[in-house]
Amino acid sequence: MNKFGKLALFVIMLYVVQSSLLTLIAYHGIGPDLMLLLTVSYAFLRGMRYGGLMGFATGLLQELATGTFLGIHAFSQLLIGLFFGRFSDRVFKEQFFLPVFASVAAIVANYFILALLMVLLGYRFNLVGNMESMLVPMLIYQLAFAYPVHRFAYALDKKLSKKEKH
Amino acid sequence: MSSRVRKDKNPHRKTWAVLFVIVSLFCIIFFAAKGRFQAPANSQAVALVLSPFQQAVSWIGGQLDYVTSTVWDIATAHEQNKLLRNEVEQLRIQNLETSEAMAENERLRTLLGYRQMTTQFDMVAARVIGRESATWSRMIVINRGQKDGVAVDMVVVTSEGLVGHIVEAGWNTSKVQLILDPRSSVGTIVQRAESRVAGIVQGDMNNPMMPQMVNIAKNADVVEDDVIVTSGFGGIYPKGIVVGRISSIENDAGGLLKIGLLETAVDFQKLEDVMVITASREAPPEPIKPPVQTLGTETDPAAQAAEAKAAAAGESQK
Repeated sequence: MNKFGKLALFVIMLYVVQSSLLTLIAYHGIGPDLMLLLTVSYAFLRGMRYGGLMGFATGLLQELATGTFLGIHAFSQLLIGLFFGRFSDRVFKEQFFLPVFASVAAIVANYFILALLMVLLGYRFNLVGNMESMLVPMLIYQLAFAYPVHRFAYALDKKLSKKEKH
Repeated sequence: MSSRVRKDKNPHRKTWAVLFVIVSLFCIIFFAAKGRFQAPANSQAVALVLSPFQQAVSWIGGQLDYVTSTVWDIATAHEQNKLLRNEVEQLRIQNLETSEAMAENERLRTLLGYRQMTTQFDMVAARVIGRESATWSRMIVINRGQKDGVAVDMVVVTSEGLVGHIVEAGWNTSKVQLILDPRSSVGTIVQRAESRVAGIVQGDMNNPMMPQMVNIAKNADVVEDDVIVTSGFGGIYPKGIVVGRISSIENDAGGLLKIGLLETAVDFQKLEDVMVITASREAPPEPIKPPVQTLGTETDPAAQAAEAKAAAAGESQK
């Protein structure tokens, strides 16, 4: 199996775990967003170009698989992938602290981009109440899952780039 | 070589390409939300690729859940048994009274020349294999599709009440929009015979687990604890499916209307098995028969009902 195939399989497996298994531990229907974590990790490891691409692909996968508002996740995760990809050449790839905490910033950014899109689409809601019921549980889940996801992404990336060099 | 020259001439090509993608995505979001753009066949292809993985993983999840709940059930069986016996007794008395009322109802209906019909449903059982954990919409994926006769706009229920409707039917999976989704709206009425106020139940972004019943006039007869059922207006949802119970009533921002917050009949946190209504028709109801009593728990509901009545009469005399 080539490099792209392995990566695609990893993304699909991660998505399946998120949509089928982790919903068992979801709080009020809100669970960890592994696709966003993967985007941030990948952006840190591979740079702006691949980060953006990964964000776009995982966002689109999410939308096509469950049928939410089309394009919102692809849009927000593309921006996040591009933004965090800028920092990839300034941090050591072995450093885990920064990507894990960057994912917290990413979830907040993702939340506000999506909230803005919802307002532009004409849905009205109370921002403070919404943040309490959505953002807070999401932050806790993201912090708990950021490290393992980054670890996996790092291991996979290392394996794939090692093969590339040979 | 020529490509190199072109690159040098236009160093910002990449930035422009990214900007183009971002702007087109932005446009797609709005066109899709307004219904002017639909995801092409790709969406069904993605569902088809994902479904075997999702089925396998959700099966594992289901087994884990089954083991933990079985252990819990065994641990609490004794206490629960006591409560259930108590409930069975009360229900038997209630059942007796209901069948008497039904008999009377039938007598009066024949007297009036009413044709008594109830709606019967053909259902397909389905398992939830995927769920969206994103925050702005509420969708689930079930393991039944076109090959099982499921089609778009069919209604999804559980034994407790309404779940939602099918928005996309693939070959072996379908996507269900829950009644919690902000895009969903269900025509409903209050079940109470004196009220029968109509309203629309919509998903609420502020409280993802409690949909709202909107468009209720300020002086309408809707109180807390009222049971809300589907009205049958609108064509998708058949009449009489339980949606939920009003937990609180608030004033609308405009001041002319009120909003009821609903506690849904279905527990959406633990949604595992659902049923899809594939056809519904009107048919005369089956006569009510008293259910068989389980050995060791037999009671005489008629005697108990008489006793309860006598006790109530005695109290009212006092």
